[in-house]
Amino acid sequence: MSRRVYLDYNASTPVHPEVLAEMLPYFAERFGNPSSIHVFGREAREGLDTARERVARFLRVRPEEIVFTSGGTESDNLAVKGLAWARGSGHVITSRVEHHAVLRACEWLETVGFAVTYVPVDGHGMVDPDDVKRALRADTLAISIMHANSEVGTLQPVGAIGALARERGIAFHVDAVQTFGKLALDVDALGIDALSFSSHKIYGPKGVAGLWIRRGTRMVSVQHGGDHERRRRAGTENVPGIVGFGKAVEVRGRDMRDEELRVRALRDRLWEGIRSRVPEARLNGHPTERLPGTVNVCYRGVESESIVLGLDLQGVGVSAGSACTSGSIEPSHVLVAMGVPLDWAMGAVRSSLGRTTTAEDVDYVVDCVEALVRKLRAQLPVGA
Amino acid sequence: MRYSRTLIDHFLEPRNAGMMPAPDGVGQDEYAECGDQARVFLRVRGGRAAEARFQAYGCGPTIAAASAASELIAGRPLADLVHLKAQEVEDALDGLPDDRRHAADVVAGAVRAAAADALARGNVGP
Repeated sequence: MSRRVYLDYNASTPVHPEVLAEMLPYFAERFGNPSSIHVFGREAREGLDTARERVARFLRVRPEEIVFTSGGTESDNLAVKGLAWARGSGHVITSRVEHHAVLRACEWLETVGFAVTYVPVDGHGMVDPDDVKRALRADTLAISIMHANSEVGTLQPVGAIGALARERGIAFHVDAVQTFGKLALDVDALGIDALSFSSHKIYGPKGVAGLWIRRGTRMVSVQHGGDHERRRRAGTENVPGIVGFGKAVEVRGRDMRDEELRVRALRDRLWEGIRSRVPEARLNGHPTERLPGTVNVCYRGVESESIVLGLDLQGVGVSAGSACTSGSIEPSHVLVAMGVPLDWAMGAVRSSLGRTTTAEDVDYVVDCVEALVRKLRAQLPVGA
Repeated sequence: MRYSRTLIDHFLEPRNAGMMPAPDGVGQDEYAECGDQARVFLRVRGGRAAEARFQAYGCGPTIAAASAASELIAGRPLADLVHLKAQEVEDALDGLPDDRRHAADVVAGAVRAAAADALARGNVGP
């Protein structure tokens, strides 16, 4: 195998060289605990402050409204549970296609007495703001809707939902892990009160993420200990990671727009190649209101893992849209919520493109997919 | 790589894939929980499987297991194949991860059904 093509940028991204260079001194030279008052601590604190300012500048918010966490999952848990617990009881609205970090946090809230409504999505995976409106109750305390779905890339109408939340004084959390640093985002215009975002999706290191919380939003901490992060998230900060995250955000501010256009064109080239050369392939997700780099395709009659494995053996990294775990198939909850028939959903494969993807990569993958799907279908039982 | 070289080889270059015209025995099995399916066709001569072909739907290991089984059973008596164990298929792949053992189960089930079908139809061959 000679060629290697990574098309799994929604899962993770390589650390940008500028980010790595910025991080390195914080492992062994500026290694202090940022809570320490001596010079070693102050050096680390300086790195932390710079990162916070960079993130705040990018989001056009106040630095003190940013809380650094260990990942998107922690940010989502802090937002969902923190908003709910701050009120003690009540009702939360979310959607059926959220990341498990939000879905399972909501399911857990139900076990401790909160009520949750999971609004449906349409065939493109999009929430209807009218469904959110209909789900509102007198005791609704928060709405949590993702900005873009990681599996199919569909962008949610967060502005319309934010307007509903604002009218009624309900806290609005948006999981923007897949859009932050990829698409322009205006938290004020969209009526957002809390925003989850992550580092390793935007060429920063893993193990770092953030939660922006609008000043004045009632929220309690879910992790207790020291007074870090303005008492909203206890625990010594991951300074090298946060420094890298800050740099990654700065780089995105510089490169994001150009890359969005380039990746969008490659995304459309990939789908067009598949559509024109592979019969019985369907695109999942919204045709236009979709992440610039995401192409989720179902191949009828072929099982996801056999495509992922076949592509892996040709040096191509993509991800399966359904998982066979311990011998039982688990179709993606997103595709199920979208009403994708099971025989199609079993053959879902997600490709996600990024800054190193080239047109040659895309053409190579189309060639591989065409040959692989043809071969796999040739050995199918009739009617399978 | 979590799969053996043998498994990968069978997945990439499946032996005996595709239908067989007018087979002497046909059998299939399905692993209902994940929908994997295998169908095995036999040509029988002198009470033995002279040739086997397969069709399969499922994850990579299921396709590889069907390919490996088509070689494994060639030349063996039907009376033997009606008792084929999944372990034999798994061994022919140099092992399977725990969560993919069903690949050998479904293929062994299809082989047993094909052998039983040939015997039931009296197709033991010239």
